[in-house]
Amino acid sequence: MDKQVQFSKEDEEFFGSVGSFGVPKFDNAMHGGVPRGFLVVGFTDVGSGSELFAKQFTSPAEEPDNTILISTNESELEIARVYNKYRWPTDIGVRTLGEEYNARVLEKELLASRYRLEGFKLPDIQRLAQTRFVDDDTQDFLTEMTNEIMAMGPYFRAVIDSLDFFMQREDPSRVVAMLRMMQAHTQLHRGILFITVSKDTITPAIKQEMAAIADMVCDFKVRTIGSDFETSMTVTKFRNAPENLSIMVYRVTPEEGITPETVERIA
Amino acid sequence: MDEILRGGIPYGSTVLAAGTCGSGKTTMGMEFLVRGALAGEACAHFTATEPSVKLLENIRQYAFFDMNMIDSGLINVFDMDVLYSWLGLDKASFDLDDVHALIKAIVDIVNTIGVTRLVIDSVTTLCYKIKSEQLIRDFLFTLGKKLATLGCTTILISEITSATENAHWSSFGVEEAIADGIIVMGDVERMGHLLRFLQVVKMRGTAHSRAKHAIELTPLGVMLTPMLKWGAVSDKTSKWGQ
Repeated sequence: MDKQVQFSKEDEEFFGSVGSFGVPKFDNAMHGGVPRGFLVVGFTDVGSGSELFAKQFTSPAEEPDNTILISTNESELEIARVYNKYRWPTDIGVRTLGEEYNARVLEKELLASRYRLEGFKLPDIQRLAQTRFVDDDTQDFLTEMTNEIMAMGPYFRAVIDSLDFFMQREDPSRVVAMLRMMQAHTQLHRGILFITVSKDTITPAIKQEMAAIADMVCDFKVRTIGSDFETSMTVTKFRNAPENLSIMVYRVTPEEGITPETVERIA
Repeated sequence: MDEILRGGIPYGSTVLAAGTCGSGKTTMGMEFLVRGALAGEACAHFTATEPSVKLLENIRQYAFFDMNMIDSGLINVFDMDVLYSWLGLDKASFDLDDVHALIKAIVDIVNTIGVTRLVIDSVTTLCYKIKSEQLIRDFLFTLGKKLATLGCTTILISEITSATENAHWSSFGVEEAIADGIIVMGDVERMGHLLRFLQVVKMRGTAHSRAKHAIELTPLGVMLTPMLKWGAVSDKTSKWGQ
């Protein structure tokens, strides 16, 4: 890894020391936004709106070429629909690892099941007799994703939604090791990296380790009040700015997406 | 070979060709297929010990082999690695389901293209993935039975470390029990030379010779000559010219 990165004066002025959350009211609550170089980890509940928040986080897209959304659960089509709905920039980089996994791994497994169940047809046998090498398509999606982030230049903005995909398929300690590398890269290049992970997929020890690596930790919650849902985000860690720790209740509006309603300071 | 076997390998037999490394097993197996292909038979070769590209490259130096036989589909060479990958068997060990899937695939291929001559090179490499001896026995027995039903004559190549009188003819000890025939190939030292030899130990349905024969791998193919019994106990009692 490069030990030093040169930043141009122009860039420093353009990007500033903080970047937007993509939600102006959050920016205000956090005294300007997310400091450049921050790794933000969001621990999420199902239905808490974190997926929408993750997309909205990319919407400032200061440099669309240097902005990426890596989604493990949604298709490109679904993502594009959301971006078009809220009129967020659609010229950012999007990678849908869930779709890639389906195409590269599950399709192969499905085909193998078909061969095992139904047997080979003549065209299959002819093709088999002509195939001299095994396609080396063994996929290490975790390394691929880490490399994708590590290849991003200064002042990048990246979102990984979510790490559940890797936690369920890989050794969690390996995922954490990759997270450390991405955090170091983010810090060095003054990027902003937002990562979500479901609370239910990780052990308390892994959660603790991830929280320790992160510069900012958000806890996305959903609870029922009467017959209604209340979604909130609790900022439980904000490196070097404990005054930013707060509980923000938000709702989703068709105009703005995630819209904070109340902010309650913790410290 | 036909003379040694008094006619040849009976149709539908499963023959174990057990040999030490470099004893000519693969060449003999390939020539068996080529001779069948020349007679218009559909043949298949499953290679597990070396990639098919390497196998074809090595075998094309023999005059009996013609690449057109591969191109025209008379001889079908299958890479076991590719077959494993297609069947989702690219893993360290096989369970019962995997073994059945493999048998089904091989039988499917034989049945669909009407293969009458088949070589599996080697059954030892293949069986390394099957951890239980019982499962190896079931695999070989079921495969042999199904192929025989389809009228396919099969040579299962087996790698052994020694071809002496006391040696086993197979790596797992079960291959020889299910085979209709056993051909042993190895080396014997004669006056400082390492000679390749071949001996038919068993061939059901034939009154075959059990004598050792010297093999020479010539550009024309496998050449066999009876071995002189030099060095036999009876020879030591008399001297030349006496």
